Amino acid sequence: MVIPEITKVQETFKDYNNLTFVDKGGFKIVYSGMLAEKKEAIKLVFMPSVNDVNGPDEIKSDIIEEAQKRIIREIKLLENANSPFIVKLGELKPRDIYIDNNLFVSYSEEFIDGKNLHKLIREAYLPDEAELKNLLICLLEAVKCLWENSKAIHRDIKPLNVIKTNLLDRPFILLDLGIAYIINETPLTVSPDKRLPPGTTKYLAPEMLNPNFRGNIDFRSDLYTIGITIYEFATGRHPLAKDSDDLLLTLSRIIRGKPEPLKKFRTDLTEDFCMIVDQLMKKIVAIRPSNISKLIDKIKGLK
Amino acid sequence: MKIFAQHGYGDGEKIIKGLSNNYIQGAIFSPRDILPDKLEQKLNELSTQFHDAEFLIDPQYYTCLIGNHPNLNIGKLSDYQSLYFNFENRSKLEIEKNISEIIRRSLLYQNNLPVNEIISPNILISNSFDSREAVISKNFIRLSKSISNELKIEKPIISSLVVSSDCIRNHQELIEFLNDITVFENPPDGFYVLVSTRNSESRSELYNSETLSAWMLINYGLKINGFKVINGYSDIFSPLISTVGSDVCSTGWWSNLHNFSLERFTPSNTGGRLPIQRYFSNGLLNRITFYELEALKEQVPEILNNFETDDIYSNGEPDRANEVLQSWEALSKLCNSISSPNISLNLEELNNKINNALNLYSRISQILLLHPKSNSDHLEPFSLAISRFKQLSEV
Repeated sequence: MVIPEITKVQETFKDYNNLTFVDKGGFKIVYSGMLAEKKEAIKLVFMPSVNDVNGPDEIKSDIIEEAQKRIIREIKLLENANSPFIVKLGELKPRDIYIDNNLFVSYSEEFIDGKNLHKLIREAYLPDEAELKNLLICLLEAVKCLWENSKAIHRDIKPLNVIKTNLLDRPFILLDLGIAYIINETPLTVSPDKRLPPGTTKYLAPEMLNPNFRGNIDFRSDLYTIGITIYEFATGRHPLAKDSDDLLLTLSRIIRGKPEPLKKFRTDLTEDFCMIVDQLMKKIVAIRPSNISKLIDKIKGLK
Repeated sequence: MKIFAQHGYGDGEKIIKGLSNNYIQGAIFSPRDILPDKLEQKLNELSTQFHDAEFLIDPQYYTCLIGNHPNLNIGKLSDYQSLYFNFENRSKLEIEKNISEIIRRSLLYQNNLPVNEIISPNILISNSFDSREAVISKNFIRLSKSISNELKIEKPIISSLVVSSDCIRNHQELIEFLNDITVFENPPDGFYVLVSTRNSESRSELYNSETLSAWMLINYGLKINGFKVINGYSDIFSPLISTVGSDVCSTGWWSNLHNFSLERFTPSNTGGRLPIQRYFSNGLLNRITFYELEALKEQVPEILNNFETDDIYSNGEPDRANEVLQSWEALSKLCNSISSPNISLNLEELNNKINNALNLYSRISQILLLHPKSNSDHLEPFSLAISRFKQLSEV
């Protein structure tokens, strides 16, 4: 995917001032820009042609179609999400645009000023328990909202997709519903490697790797990845995967590995808080605490 | 952690004495063993006298599919037919409307009585979680709270979960079943868990580490998900499930009130001699006969609990009506000593108690050959069940 020149993007979005390149990932390019007094994140999602897609010929058209449907789904989910802890849609409504003969779908989200947890982990940032509790509550509220409003699972909760802000009422915000899954809808899981579900491998819940279970997944898979994210943010290390691992070893650790208790690496945190995080990472779905409201009350009640 | 009386035939003053002394904190009544008007009268009396205690009725709907059994003996449960109980056939229960009607009648009946919580009915899953029975059972669980809401019932709804020991030994199927019932949209407030055996004397079915670890996993999973967990007929197994989150364990005065079996409703024989009175030793995690207690208490004094109810055994053979008071007090103190919020510590503590019991049995073996029911056969499955549970639950 070629990143379009900023001048050409600016010409396309004349209502926005000071367009600046922010990031790119997968098929998505993100710019920031001012719409009147408000800063927004403009997203361009590249719509590949057959020549742009890797993988066997027979699934190329599926991948293209899936990319289009995913955007529609992501936008629909964002429209339904009324949680302050999920990124909100901006003023730019979805539309097709061509730049240098490449087709993109463009839309905007609010611009969130802050750093993602992945960056903070790399900077060796050490959150205290109050901040970790805040993060846990924000993510639980976000998952609850997605499930209650849309019967959707985020499927890609990880440090990179969570922004720490300076906003008192929205200290952490969850991004990127690009591979979210809505129960009872088409899975949209076509990938060049059909053996694996979509998502970042080391953040996959173990049940996602069980072909017999995939039809039964629910929001508890997101609870697992919340546990992983909190653990990694608290300790600076992924509870199971290691950077030196190959794919097979990572998958094996997800299915069979047992994380060390959080308390082992953060002795300053309370036992009760560490136990909640450890519980979220259980392999058996039924022993993750599924009553989110009760769980939030419990976290708020911890001393 | 509370101990409830598992009511049965011949209550007498047992429940009142148990509640008065706080050996038990509630009772689960058996319609099979008490007429509807007597039950109502009893509940009125008890709830007036013991405000803090909890009273429930086991609707015993798990008997609804055994109407054609040649040895059927449902006792006074037949007197509840105009109130809520009916025999059914399995195909009728495959229709949701019929299940809803069964639940509705059962909830309405109990709601008019002074019970603290309402146990909603269910059938027994006898063979496998991958079965028609399991689907029917899930529907009973799924529908109970929404029907209670429709009826504007304010009392908590405790859904029966009745499973055979054969069935729960398949851990993979059990886990999938638990995954389903812990995420229903409108879940009950709790579960009344019964693990059944073919007959109440078939120790081998329950003295099995796969069965016991599964029973522990059921309690753990339900508790983690915020449900109240009431175990019926848990008796000697109560310590195991107390460590992992059980809110209530129960036992009664006869041996057929110690373990749950449908055989109680289809007895193959009746009568027989009365069993020897037994003493529940917390040191041994088991009951021994009164005669064994007499023979051992001087040389192995650690088998004595030294609780209030030990007095019942101090002047020779105890009054049979008081035997259960000793069991209730012993179980209550034992279970409460290993039911802290920290499950790892509870399991460690129970393991220590098992090791201690092994030592005591080793000393006893030098002195006396124990009756098969009194010996140490339970300790190995207890110990293995803890290891298996820890492995399953990553505790």
